[in-house]
Amino acid sequence: MLGFSNQALSNILYWVTRKRWLIFAFAISLFLFYIPNPETLSPEGHRTLIIVVITMILIIGEVIPLPAVAILILILEVILGIDTPNGVASSFMSDAVFFIMGSLMLAVAIVSQGLDKRLALGIIKMTGNKTWRIVFGFVAISAILSSFIGEHTVAAMMLPVALILIRNTSEDKAIVQNLSTLLLFSIAYGCAMGSIGTPSGGGRNVIMMEYISEFGLGNISYLDWIKYAYPMLLIEIPIAVLVLWFTFRPKQKILDSAVRKLKVNVTKAGKMTGKQILAILIFVAVFLGWVFLSPYLGLGIVALIGVFLYLSFGLIEWKDINRNTNWGVIILFGAAISLGIQMKETGAAEWIANQAISGMQFIVADVGFLRWFISVFLTGILTNLLSNAATVAVLGPVVLNMGGDPIILGLATSIASAFAYLTIVASPTCMIIHSSGLVKSSDYLKAGWKLFIMSVAILFLISHFYWPLLS
Amino acid sequence: MKILIAIGSKDYSEPTLQLGMRVAKAFNAAVTIVYVGDRISAFSTSEVLMAQENLENWELDRQGVDVLEWAHKYLAEHDYIKSNNNNEEFTVEKLIQTDDDRCEVYLEGKHTQEVGFILRNGDIIQQLRDEVKRGEFDVTIIGASKKRRMIHDLIQYIDSSIFVVKNYDRNKQYKMLLAVNAAPNTKKAVKYGVRVAQAFDLDTTALTISNSSDFRDDYKSASLWADKFLRRSGIKHETLLKHGKFIETMNTIAGNNHLIIMGASTKSPLAKFFKGSKPLNVSEKCNCPALIVK
Repeated sequence: MLGFSNQALSNILYWVTRKRWLIFAFAISLFLFYIPNPETLSPEGHRTLIIVVITMILIIGEVIPLPAVAILILILEVILGIDTPNGVASSFMSDAVFFIMGSLMLAVAIVSQGLDKRLALGIIKMTGNKTWRIVFGFVAISAILSSFIGEHTVAAMMLPVALILIRNTSEDKAIVQNLSTLLLFSIAYGCAMGSIGTPSGGGRNVIMMEYISEFGLGNISYLDWIKYAYPMLLIEIPIAVLVLWFTFRPKQKILDSAVRKLKVNVTKAGKMTGKQILAILIFVAVFLGWVFLSPYLGLGIVALIGVFLYLSFGLIEWKDINRNTNWGVIILFGAAISLGIQMKETGAAEWIANQAISGMQFIVADVGFLRWFISVFLTGILTNLLSNAATVAVLGPVVLNMGGDPIILGLATSIASAFAYLTIVASPTCMIIHSSGLVKSSDYLKAGWKLFIMSVAILFLISHFYWPLLS
Repeated sequence: MKILIAIGSKDYSEPTLQLGMRVAKAFNAAVTIVYVGDRISAFSTSEVLMAQENLENWELDRQGVDVLEWAHKYLAEHDYIKSNNNNEEFTVEKLIQTDDDRCEVYLEGKHTQEVGFILRNGDIIQQLRDEVKRGEFDVTIIGASKKRRMIHDLIQYIDSSIFVVKNYDRNKQYKMLLAVNAAPNTKKAVKYGVRVAQAFDLDTTALTISNSSDFRDDYKSASLWADKFLRRSGIKHETLLKHGKFIETMNTIAGNNHLIIMGASTKSPLAKFFKGSKPLNVSEKCNCPALIVK
């Protein structure tokens, strides 16, 4: 047929079936391109929205590599006349991208130090052998640590601790099914909740800070962020423990022998080495840099200083950083931030914001609540389908154009993007615990929906009654 | 000959592994066992890889290694591979990451490494297709799946013969059902069938099905050729000429106690994609193992 061999036809068919989301993205973008431009939206804004639609379809479908999506965004911004090549290039690289790059590299450096055994010992010393206390310890430590060093770093360090406890309890998966799910979700959800605590908890927090500053809406410092977000984190910890405990109640109420074996395993590691102490000191210095120097140097540059120190002191080799850093994500977030800036510049963000508000006003009359609800609920849902940083990168400019207090809406959006409890793809931490093979995709929904509603409710109370006191 | 056996879990893969190894033995084939784990989101690839590497510091296995270890032990215990000491515990000596989604697993112990073990992550069709292309496998053996269009995609897109192990019970006495017609792949299918029948000592039925009671000459001659070939190969067999609907007739005769072997369709891939094919429909609807020879 058409001169193609059967093999070639088979290959084409295979490509078409696997890349149907790509084909759909281009078909829909062509359709959108040729429909008339809405009167209240500029032609550039119209074209920017087409890129947003393509980007979201390609990210959800994951049919082409992430760097290819990023490159496509940059190409289309220029080809569709949204900005000049130099304009696109300058919006692509920012301190937020430096921060994402630096924090991903720091994560590799920290995980490779073997500090997880110290961590395990610390947790066990604090919690003892009662299962509920261990769960509390897992959630609390994961949340507090991930608020400073990023969620997937903590998840990578905590995962073996949980798996060792599970293995020490029983090799029979059926016997420890609930215990496995409970411990692993304590890590994943603890990390997700913790990532809201400080800007360094997640790249999306820094993306939102970048937007707020770039759009001239104000400046939030590292300490300001902590004042806004940390109380919510602390409130969430005990509630999450209760939700997890009553959802995955384990048969084993005491993990006496498992804890003893873990202690034996961990104490074999010996005393803390000089390198490990140095690694901790460097991270503490980076943290202090974020708190005190970021207004002058930016969060990204401080993170890169940390990476420089780890490399210079020989605590990590470049090849390890290179291999374990997700460069595709860095490039994609650079491009997504660039797209976000274009959404603001072309008026596309404002147009969507107005459409959303006027559309929802038929249902609820209170615009203030409506703004908040759209920002939080839409972010919460999208974060479970896309990725949390991509959600903030795309929704951030819209939310900041909705009117009301942009700081409150921006922070609420960024925090809601941490409600990644419902799906495996929602965040790297969900993916990390799933890779253990001990949790099923249906488990995410079992506890996830309860935590989602609980988190939205707490965020509502905090943002309406506590945040106004701070401004 | 090279055979790829895809396994998914200790609980459900035993029949696939057992039948697969018996077929491999019949062909004196080199065997590779592959475990395909869940797809990792592109947003998390590096993070998951880092977490998995960290597990190795604690002497913990990543997902799938335990299934491959079980497979290795199973093969040793059932004398499919040589073993000096079955009680020897396996330890993962080496896990070589050849790609983001592919690892070569070297299981050591006192067992000899006669079988290759591969750990993959991702969409199963894509992973098997890549592995078959990479290793130039002749046959892919896999258990039946409840996933929609799974068998269709395997037969359509994987460039090797496909053996779908469906409802296999090792305690049951199986017969072989060879589909014989004038299609180009029939002769290859009969030759495969002979090797399997010899190895398993199976009674064989060479079945030719025509839409009408008036059999075409090429069908008759194909049936005669198969009869002669089976006789010369010393296979205890019968030759049947039936008329009726192909798929229904095949599956009625096959029941749940036959191994079906038939040649792959040579129709255009587009026609197969939209309208299906006889081998595809038979293997989707049958209640027994089916080998589609390409």
